[in-house]
Amino acid sequence: MAETTTEFFDMWRKQLEESTQAWTRMVSQAPPAAPPPDPMAFWRPVLNQGLEQWARMFAQTPISPDLMGQWKQLLDQWIEAWSRVLGQAMGTEAFAQQMGHSLESWLAAQAPLKKAGEQALEQTLQGLNVASRSQLTSVAKQIVELEERLERMEDGIQAILRRLESRERT
Amino acid sequence: MGQERFADVVERFTNGFAAAAAAAASPETIKQWQEEIDRNVRRLTNLGRLATAAEPRTGQTPREEVYKRNKSRLYRYESSRRHRTPVLFVPNLGISRPYIFDLLPGGSFIEHMTREGFDFYLLDWGVFGPEDNGLTFEDCVVKILPRMARKVLETSGASELTVLGYCMGAPLSASFVASHPEIPVRNFVNMAGPIDFSKIGMFGLWLDRKYFDVDRFVDTLGSVPADLVKAGFKLLKPTMDISTNLNLWWNLWNDKYVEGFTALNKWANEYVAFPGEFFRQWVRDFYQGNKLVRGELVFGGRPVRLGEIRCPVFVVGAKEDYIAPPACVHALIDAVSSREKDYVELPGGHISLIAGRGAAVHCWPKVSSWLATRS
Repeated sequence: MAETTTEFFDMWRKQLEESTQAWTRMVSQAPPAAPPPDPMAFWRPVLNQGLEQWARMFAQTPISPDLMGQWKQLLDQWIEAWSRVLGQAMGTEAFAQQMGHSLESWLAAQAPLKKAGEQALEQTLQGLNVASRSQLTSVAKQIVELEERLERMEDGIQAILRRLESRERT
Repeated sequence: MGQERFADVVERFTNGFAAAAAAAASPETIKQWQEEIDRNVRRLTNLGRLATAAEPRTGQTPREEVYKRNKSRLYRYESSRRHRTPVLFVPNLGISRPYIFDLLPGGSFIEHMTREGFDFYLLDWGVFGPEDNGLTFEDCVVKILPRMARKVLETSGASELTVLGYCMGAPLSASFVASHPEIPVRNFVNMAGPIDFSKIGMFGLWLDRKYFDVDRFVDTLGSVPADLVKAGFKLLKPTMDISTNLNLWWNLWNDKYVEGFTALNKWANEYVAFPGEFFRQWVRDFYQGNKLVRGELVFGGRPVRLGEIRCPVFVVGAKEDYIAPPACVHALIDAVSSREKDYVELPGGHISLIAGRGAAVHCWPKVSSWLATRS
């Protein structure tokens, strides 16, 4: 079934090529005399070629659901190709430099904004008599430090116990 | 090219289509079409379900919390414990949550290891807040990891343990194993963990000190917010979201795929912030200084020399890993002094190495069988 679908695609491609050729021929031929106005004249060769090709194609090739698989493959390859192109572009010194500059500018803009925002929030919360984020953070830090101290004590006691045990053994 | 000719062509087209329909009416083609239509109906049904589905239940392997230190937790998983040596699993700190290793029943690395009879411990570093911005890489190596290792030995009653590091967990645990000879480590496994940062690829270039001022970054922001972590990883593979969604549509008819996707998607969108000082040291000493492989790190007054690692070492690299490319993972093999050291390079990327259907086939059995004979 994959072969028939490939045939289908080949015919489709051929049809596009033939239509393009017909269109090119038509455009390159100068009309001998002024023809009556025909709005379809420009596109008719393309349409005719296309319809003929599709008719032949339908007559010769059974359409199968495998076409979906081919379409998915095509998209996968397209995405992969883009991924490779982007990867190559982003893997250059120039891109890294540009990104560094952008980040620098962003940080330069961010720093005063962040500071001003934090100060304003701090003042507002103080005015409302509510604990601010920095106050809560400092309490949390103290708890973390307390936990560390307890752990150090625990370690110390265990080291003493181990030493005592080894002394008892000897 | 007149009107008459055009009418003829249309007629021939119609006749051709009828002929095609007749040719396509073979039983095999009809069956295929029916299957395709059926798939499309199921795609639409699952699309509706996907929009309204409840959050999937991840991390279902039974476990108990054996120790906690600030945000970090040590979990011990239920297993038959056929092997004497317990395994301490050290994943990455920050970036993402560790339930990826126990995503769903039947698709879980932890479930596989416990089923293979390992006494399995997971170190969950936790989600750090602004109060933890002072936590450094060194603190993790000197204060947290030795304590966790001791707790593993204490609760298991074993005399030795295996340390298994994944991603950033590998350089963390390699630094710990190399600088703590008093902790009896029987085996060390590095799964997709970067060691030689001169071969790290795109992140290495972006974080080069010529372009990235880590001090200014940390001094301004205090920590690395989850959204910035997300942006960094998305930038590394900008087409990832498109291909993920395309694959979702393609497999949307498959209920099992959809179940796995919802769980994985939940994990993939849950980024975790880095404590500021941790990030500063991680970038400066590893990405910019490549000090681990050069033996220039000193943690807690102890030099960190990978050559001091003498236990059996197993290194697993992923062929399509663009976060920790195989060459930078493989470097551990040349750096350690172990007599017994093995390297395998498996198909897949950084995540698919350890999670997903491919991992269950290629990676997990390799790790468990290597450890089984040494535990």
